[in-house]
Amino acid sequence: MEGSEEARKRRVQYLSLATFAAVAVIVALIVISQSGGDDDSEPPSTLRGAAEVSALLDGIPQDAQVLGDQSTAISVVEFGDLQCPVCAAFAAQVLPQLITDQVRPGNVTYEYRPWDIIGPDSEPASKAALAAGEQDRFFNFIQLFYANQGEENSGYVTDDFLQRVSTEAGVPDIERWNADRAATKWDPVLAKDNSDAESLGFTGTPSILVTGPGGQRALEGFGLPEIESAIQQIR
Amino acid sequence: MPSERNLRIAAAVLGLAGIAVATYIAIAEGGGGSPKCLVGGGGCETVAESKYAELAGINVAVIGIAGYAILLASALVPGDVGRFAGFVTALIGVGFSLYLTYLELFVIDAICQWCVMSAVLMALSLAVAAGRAFAYTGTGLETTPLQSGHGR
Repeated sequence: MEGSEEARKRRVQYLSLATFAAVAVIVALIVISQSGGDDDSEPPSTLRGAAEVSALLDGIPQDAQVLGDQSTAISVVEFGDLQCPVCAAFAAQVLPQLITDQVRPGNVTYEYRPWDIIGPDSEPASKAALAAGEQDRFFNFIQLFYANQGEENSGYVTDDFLQRVSTEAGVPDIERWNADRAATKWDPVLAKDNSDAESLGFTGTPSILVTGPGGQRALEGFGLPEIESAIQQIR
Repeated sequence: MPSERNLRIAAAVLGLAGIAVATYIAIAEGGGGSPKCLVGGGGCETVAESKYAELAGINVAVIGIAGYAILLASALVPGDVGRFAGFVTALIGVGFSLYLTYLELFVIDAICQWCVMSAVLMALSLAVAAGRAFAYTGTGLETTPLQSGHGR
């Protein structure tokens, strides 16, 4: 009986020590994880990806929020939030192939509709992109923004950051861009994007809508095979 | 309660499965790519691209391999040393997996199926290790070691 009590005490001691040690290690791992790597709360001092964005888009017609030859009847529409990291991954990993294979040859147009769902920093970013679109640099702006995206709602979307993106995106008249992005005309545009996205049943960004002569497809995913399959279906 | 021998076998199997999953993730990311999601979506790419894929410059999957290797080793070690090491390692593994899952859901906004698989394996490892530790710690060296084939 005494031995059994001894064993119980020893067990409690061991397991308490184990739990304490584990919690200490977990806390240390989380602290290291949070402090390590690139600090995404600060935008990079030099913007990344300018050359890649130029190479991707040069020579493709763009008019406001539409990229590509608008004589085609098929359109791939993305509802995205510039603060959304998955949209940034889409912009880096899926969109270049879609542009190269489908938009550049004139098979489809690619339209981007800002859907501000992540937080207060999303709206000024969207308005800055729309203002860049007034000077036909919308897609240069959003691709560069995504390539230099910071942590959600961390305050990195400053006037300085937006102006650097705009300048690097090749917006010719920055003074005009500054006036345009402050305009109230974007409020109904953004409200309509929001209501359209919701009425299509979308629940998050990026969400893809493919439209064409054969109707429209609101996609569940955003992989290239799924988009290309939808293009075939509504062709 | 299953015999300690059976718990140790289960822990070893889970450790081996974990090593396999973590090794696949590490190799896929080490080659400059990312694990391929089994049921579509781009979650694995997004997670692999995120800054949280590394911890102090070390790929998280490599840390996972080390964790599962310790779990495997602790399954093979009899007595309180094995019980204690297995329980602590699995507890750390589950705690860190919960943190990584939180990051996937609320920070990275993407789910990597391979990471979920690893988290499930780690949770199962904790269940087995906790069972072994709570039932057998303090009972002395195992009288029916893994190699002997006797039940407890």
